[in-house]
Amino acid sequence: MLEDKLLIWKFNRGNLNVLRGIYEKYKDDLVTLAAALLNDVSSAEDVVHEVFVSFIESSRKFRLTGTLKGYLATCVANNARNKNKARRTHRGIAFDQASPAKADSNNPEFHAIFGEELSQLSWALGQLPYEQREVLILHTYSGMRFKTIAQQQSVSINTVQGRYRYALDKLRSMLNGEIK
Amino acid sequence: MRPSDNINELIKKLQLKASAELDKRVHDDISAALTKSEQTKSVQPQPNIWRTIMKSPITKLATAAIVIIACVIGLSLWRTTSSGIALADVLARVEQVKAFRCKVSFTMNDQIAPDKPYQFEVRSTILLSREYGLKVNAETPDPNGGWMPYAETYISDEKKTCVEIAHTKKKYVREELDYYAETQGDQEEDWSDPGTILKAIIACKYENLGRSTIDGVEVEGFRTTDPNCRSPVSESRWSNPQVDVKLWVDVKTRLPVRFEEFSSSVDERGNTHSQRQVVHDVEWDVPFTAAEFEPPPVPDGYEVLDVPRLNDEETAIQGLKRCIELFGNYLENISDDAGAKGIIFFAFEKSETSTALRLKEEIKGLTGEEKLDRVSDAGEPIFRLIWFYVGLVQDKKEPAYYGKTVTPKDADKVLLRWKVSDSEYRVIFGDLRAETVTPEKLAELEAGLPK
Repeated sequence: MLEDKLLIWKFNRGNLNVLRGIYEKYKDDLVTLAAALLNDVSSAEDVVHEVFVSFIESSRKFRLTGTLKGYLATCVANNARNKNKARRTHRGIAFDQASPAKADSNNPEFHAIFGEELSQLSWALGQLPYEQREVLILHTYSGMRFKTIAQQQSVSINTVQGRYRYALDKLRSMLNGEIK
Repeated sequence: MRPSDNINELIKKLQLKASAELDKRVHDDISAALTKSEQTKSVQPQPNIWRTIMKSPITKLATAAIVIIACVIGLSLWRTTSSGIALADVLARVEQVKAFRCKVSFTMNDQIAPDKPYQFEVRSTILLSREYGLKVNAETPDPNGGWMPYAETYISDEKKTCVEIAHTKKKYVREELDYYAETQGDQEEDWSDPGTILKAIIACKYENLGRSTIDGVEVEGFRTTDPNCRSPVSESRWSNPQVDVKLWVDVKTRLPVRFEEFSSSVDERGNTHSQRQVVHDVEWDVPFTAAEFEPPPVPDGYEVLDVPRLNDEETAIQGLKRCIELFGNYLENISDDAGAKGIIFFAFEKSETSTALRLKEEIKGLTGEEKLDRVSDAGEPIFRLIWFYVGLVQDKKEPAYYGKTVTPKDADKVLLRWKVSDSEYRVIFGDLRAETVTPEKLAELEAGLPK
């Protein structure tokens, strides 16, 4: 996208003001992506903040090879993955399976994240293993290709496609009430 | 329909809004980075200054030297001093110099936040030749001790090229000077022109430091602590500005030998920012070889970045051709770079050329934003045309554009023109031929334009 290329060109020339435009353009999508990955708005905002801090620091050396939106989504996914790992480390078990709050789709926490209409989906996403959830969200919400996700996760494209199918099947089962 | 029937559609519905608190955090960080960047840019012996110097036909070696070494002293110093040295005389002598070499030491102490100190230190060797261009070698402290290569810059006035080798980042950047110069942002506007800088510091007060000796050379010193001294170094909108500038001139040669500058200020959040710069070991009319100005080959493992030249005449012609393809005619207005996207999209929506109809078919079913992006991509050469025109305006090249009345059928009518020199204008006609004409011929051509 030419507009993004121009933004990056200016950014690399030291015009940090363009960051404001980049942030305003993509902030909601990025916060949504991070929240869908982490099931936690506060952590999601931390992730987006950290991504922009790193982005600011990359002035004059950043090179955009794909789309800016894709790049930022990748950064958010990487940071969210790290945050998830850190949570696992701290808690000793997987974050996703650790919180009792995640076990009940009527929990107001899920309503608070994406609204009542999508609370079931939010809850069900939270029940998925992180790797599966990441593939599903990156592919479906961010429009990222399986090949790109495979590179990010350092796994084969077959593994990514498998995670995607498992995630969909499991979500479908949960939303149909087959799994509680 | 059960929720599971279309999970993908549900996921796409997920939408959160970033909180005001996140907005504040990110914008504060950007502000802090801007602040740091402005301070860094304004004091480093960085390529930007040099590029501008080399670009301008009136800012040759003499002005370059003065910008680096003397401008912060202010025009008030150009009067003859009580001890006999006049900086106007210094300038006259500098103008005769074909090349000089100097060393620059720069340290910045900064605070991004009260608990986030930041320090940047670099030392550079600069070689500038009227004939060959500029070379800068910069080093930064090695965390393991000593100094390590930081960056190299090679600027060729003749080739209009700049090569920057960022060693710490392993980047090798090649770019066209004109592109940079004509599209640089507003933030550099205030100090890119040495004349502007000199005018800005005209009100400085100073004192004569008398005679001294530096490296066995008898020198006369000048000093200003006037916080109103608005140089590239001291320019700041922050509070409590402190400035201490000293210039030492060789009594015998009347040429600068050393320049010291310290400045500090406090930003709106109470963080102190300060920097110290010393230009020393200045050697005038040093011997050099052409080979010294040739950039080295790309080091192993370095990423090469080529910044294309976008703003030449061919760029403009390609943009005009794309106007014909997309709109069947020329755009009425190419002077609004900020609104370019909207202008292009609006013209596209009205167009019924085969190219436009084909694209309209392709983007059916896309969202509004996606359509805008696709049209923007198709109109890329037009964006470049617009930037080219804006660059001509910024450079005061007297551009004029008549797309409102001139069509592709108007083969002999002036569509776009700009000044090349006092006796020449470049003209692109309605049929996209380009010619150089005299001012008289241009007046004749423009007299025949439709009103």
